[in-house]
Amino acid sequence: MASQKQIAATRIAGDAGEVKAVLIAIAAWLIPGMGHALQRRWGRALIYFSSVGTLVAVGVAMHGNIFTWEGANDAFDLLGFLSNLGTGIFCLLAQRVGGGMVDVSHAAGDYGTRFLAVAGVLNLLCVLEAYEIARGRKS
Amino acid sequence: MNLNWNLSHFQSMVVFALVISISFAFLSKRRIKDRVLYFLWTFMMFLLIGVAIGWAMFPFSR
Repeated sequence: MASQKQIAATRIAGDAGEVKAVLIAIAAWLIPGMGHALQRRWGRALIYFSSVGTLVAVGVAMHGNIFTWEGANDAFDLLGFLSNLGTGIFCLLAQRVGGGMVDVSHAAGDYGTRFLAVAGVLNLLCVLEAYEIARGRKS
Repeated sequence: MNLNWNLSHFQSMVVFALVISISFAFLSKRRIKDRVLYFLWTFMMFLLIGVAIGWAMFPFSR
């Protein structure tokens, strides 16, 4: 039977693991692939960074719409902003580089908007995986 | 910086399918062989279903 000290030690270790996992998830959100890189999953880190980066770069190059908090007039704009925010630092870069080039009057611009939104959602999936790996629930 | 890519509908679909298929393969499979098979399967399905939906919508496009 486990003593009180053992139970307390297990609880502290569990809390420390949770804090570490949350920090890894934040790092993974800020820089796509960073959560995996911190856990020495280099291959996956590179793939996720490249994938999210490619989607954002193509989205900006196609003059996709980059949603902002100030410009969110309805629920769809807000969802667009949240999905853009999912790309972490790429969101800021996209606003800096492509903020003035938005043109959704053509099909390419509309596709670019989707590329940017999918990049954010994809990064959130990667964040979730990095968190699950840190918690030991996934290999 | 002047970035300007005017990709066609099909080119956009191929780029999208390629990137997402690779990511999904790494997210959902662990072994290399499984990842390659999953990538090929999802990539082909993205393209085939995309083209099929395009053709299904053709009668309503005019």
